Amino acid sequence: MIRFFNWFRRRSLERGLDRELQYHYDRRVTDLMSAGVPQSEALRRAAVELGLAQVREEVRDIWLTRWLRDFLYDLRFSTRSLLRSPGFTATTLLSLAFGIGASTAIYSLVDQVILHALPVRNPERLVLVDWHGDHVVGGFGSYNLMSYPICRDLQQQTRFFDGVLCRAEILVNVAAGGDPKPVAAEIVSGSYFSVLGVGPALGRVIEEPDDSGPGASPVAVLSHSFWQAEFGGAADIVGRKILINEHPTTVIGVAAAAFHGVDVGAVPALWIPASMYAAALPGTEDLLRHPTRWMQILARLRPDFTAAQAQAGLQPWFQGWIRDNMVRPGFPIISSDRRRRYLASTLALTSAPQGHSPMRRSLSQPLWVLFAATGVLLCLACMNVAGLFLARGSARGREIGTRLALGASRGRIGRQLLADSLLLALAGGALGIALASPAVRALTAFLPDSGGATAIRSAVSLRLLAFAFLTSLAAGLASGLAPALHAGRNDLISSLRERGGTGFGGIGLRKCIVTLQVAFSLILVVGAALFVRTLTGLLAKGPGFNTGHLVSFSLAPRKNGYSPADAGRLIRRIDAEIRALPTVRTSGIARYALLTGGSWNDPVTIQTGRRFVTDRDINLNGVSPGFFATLGVRILDGRDFDARDSRPAGETGSRSAIVNQAFVKRYLAGISPLGVRLGEGSGPDVTPDIVIVGVVGDFNYRGLRDDSAQAFFPIFEGDDSGATFYAKIRGSSAEAFQSIHQVVRQADPALPILSFRTLDEQVSRSLNTERMLAALSGSFGALALVLSLIGLYGVMSFVVARRTREIGIRLALGATGASALRLVLRDAGVMIAAGVAIALPCIAALGKLFQSQLYGVTATDPATVAAAAAILAAGALAAAFIPAWRASNVSPMDALRLE
Amino acid sequence: MLILQILSLEPAHGYGIAQRLEQISRSVVQVNQGSLYPALHRLQQKGWLRGAWKQSETGREAKFYSLTPAGRRQLAVEKDSWARLSGAVNLIFEEGSR
Repeated sequence: MIRFFNWFRRRSLERGLDRELQYHYDRRVTDLMSAGVPQSEALRRAAVELGLAQVREEVRDIWLTRWLRDFLYDLRFSTRSLLRSPGFTATTLLSLAFGIGASTAIYSLVDQVILHALPVRNPERLVLVDWHGDHVVGGFGSYNLMSYPICRDLQQQTRFFDGVLCRAEILVNVAAGGDPKPVAAEIVSGSYFSVLGVGPALGRVIEEPDDSGPGASPVAVLSHSFWQAEFGGAADIVGRKILINEHPTTVIGVAAAAFHGVDVGAVPALWIPASMYAAALPGTEDLLRHPTRWMQILARLRPDFTAAQAQAGLQPWFQGWIRDNMVRPGFPIISSDRRRRYLASTLALTSAPQGHSPMRRSLSQPLWVLFAATGVLLCLACMNVAGLFLARGSARGREIGTRLALGASRGRIGRQLLADSLLLALAGGALGIALASPAVRALTAFLPDSGGATAIRSAVSLRLLAFAFLTSLAAGLASGLAPALHAGRNDLISSLRERGGTGFGGIGLRKCIVTLQVAFSLILVVGAALFVRTLTGLLAKGPGFNTGHLVSFSLAPRKNGYSPADAGRLIRRIDAEIRALPTVRTSGIARYALLTGGSWNDPVTIQTGRRFVTDRDINLNGVSPGFFATLGVRILDGRDFDARDSRPAGETGSRSAIVNQAFVKRYLAGISPLGVRLGEGSGPDVTPDIVIVGVVGDFNYRGLRDDSAQAFFPIFEGDDSGATFYAKIRGSSAEAFQSIHQVVRQADPALPILSFRTLDEQVSRSLNTERMLAALSGSFGALALVLSLIGLYGVMSFVVARRTREIGIRLALGATGASALRLVLRDAGVMIAAGVAIALPCIAALGKLFQSQLYGVTATDPATVAAAAAILAAGALAAAFIPAWRASNVSPMDALRLE
Repeated sequence: MLILQILSLEPAHGYGIAQRLEQISRSVVQVNQGSLYPALHRLQQKGWLRGAWKQSETGREAKFYSLTPAGRRQLAVEKDSWARLSGAVNLIFEEGSR
């Protein structure tokens, strides 16, 4: 390392050595002369004894070992020669910077969303425990849902596990003095922190006694960032009382700063024990004893077991457990067929060092697709650089020939060229990193929800730096290797004899490179076209209802301590007042919000001439009279709900339902749907007594790709945990918000309005992933196109320059300009055709991988592929045309005089 | 080792070391003056010597080398191993003369 620094102070080292040697020399001459040797003889003898030049060289070798010194000289030489040709340097640098910047930015997301292990003790030993098979019991939440009792029972399996935790993400209203605010929280088992190995930054974390029984301990642990943001990092936070859904709760501590929960997409502001379920999730049954599925289970494997061994070892226990589970209170009555499927269920253990994340689930495929695209882009950039280097190498043929003639070894020259490309790649990498950070920031805007966006950091981490460095190094080696090897092979005599007229050094290699470039960029362009068509297709289709002037917001009075009956009354009152507002044309309520990805779903029992159960879950919703009119969804048959259908909980009477067209098409084809009776659920105990009173047109419920069968019930029956209002407004959404806010404040000043948005905004939010894919693949495709066109243009110019004499002779012998044009264009045409031929099977193979991301097109959609190929071919021919035109205008005299 | 030994007595400049070496080598071994400076720089690189510019006896500035603590330790090590080697050689000779 010291040696490396010697490079930077070599000038002062040299000066010192010179002075030292001069002193020695002078003293020796003086001594010799005083010993009687004549001056001329003394000078000669002193010089011979010392051997000045050799001593200097040897000392320099000590300062810096030879290879290092050569390498540093190479780098210096490279820098100088690159600065001499700024056009070449800028082109290669930008190619590499875009390639490396794009892949670094996408890698940053891949790393954080998919690869990054949780900051907990030995994350590699964590496994996710999941249920394979028919659960029978319903649940709420995202994925991999399990019940609390099974988590408790798994904790007894100490043969396999060092500990088992369960958790669920929830939204709670938190008030610390002021108005309640909705925040994300995690409701966890008492074992959560100890199993993960996460400690407190302040106070203590949730422990087993906090979770010993219902309402055992109304406590909360704050996340470090929530503590900082909401409480200014107050040192006396431990012991303070806050209100969670209006329940007084004691803050017992702050979690370690680096810990953000087990879900990268949902960062909790606080943790509460599962024993507080009644406060956190009002209106639920006894979640600690019921088999309802609502939590994810993570377990820490004992060191002597793999996930597969533990999974196999747990099956006998699990078989016994699912039988016991059937007698648990709340377990539904099921048919024998269903029972058989239920009993065939197995327990599945998967390694989960990254925790559990629905965001990872939805994003990992798009991210890998994009990562592959940036890989291709980087390859293209490298090829471009390699092509440019080859061109430069040919231009420098004489320089290299001369150096070879002066005794430089081929390896030495090759190293010099490699130093060129490494230097460029590293500089490009540095530029790329500079680009990557803002790119990641821009990318997070595409992430599906705001929770995920806050979790992604745009800062360049050490891992990222390592990735970028390795990528640049690989890029440098890849783009430098071919030209370097090529330079080494050059024949000395012929290269010196060569005169810009004959010789086709590297032309075959360059043609190969351009062909591959054409193939790669066609793949990217087709990908981009497919994703853009998916996005525009979805946008053009819309959600099936008119989103103009439509806003929505949610209220959750149960979380503010309302009883079910009071909550129902409050919602009705607010509904009536909002209808009366001058800024609102019409309004309606749905029990579950549209376009959020989730839904209330269940199989439905249908009673026509015969009784049968739907083969899949039907998306259900409770809606108010006027909801369909507000959305502009047409009633195709029968009638909308009205006051007759709404009735408070507990009152009996005939019930009614409305189904959509898809439901009729799938289950009631050929019969009149009106009057058909339905029952919610699939068991033999379900009484189909809900009469279909209407049929509505199809519209999207869960998301824009959803075309499922749907059934609707009146909202004002039974207990309602919350409501999402949809209002058609006059004027701007800001004015409407003002007046709606006023109404809600008057009804209850402490009730927060949740997610007030225009429907246009929600549609565009629900398409975030599609938009990310379209925007990124579009820009990658455009970049790829530009890169390969530059490459093609470069090669064709080179070919023309090399063949100028030949073309001149042809022209002199009577060929026309047009035939010269054809000659060159034919060359380009062959490369383009070969590139397209290579790309097509690749597209067909890759298409299977991302088909699920597409909508309305197949990956091998002929029109799209043909259009992309046409665009590419047109661009490529245009790029080839310029040099071809130059060739056709060669004057025979000039061409021959070139010699 | 010879250089370290010479410098352990007092700091000296390159020419001074060369003269001392010449005095010794006249009787025993021939040391090339040209190889002195690479050796000095190598020892300095290893951290056994430090160099400083000082006034020499003729009044001109010269680079004086002196031992660092690490150099002193190294000299001890080398002396020790030399003693062991020469002791072993002596033993063999005595064995042969007996």
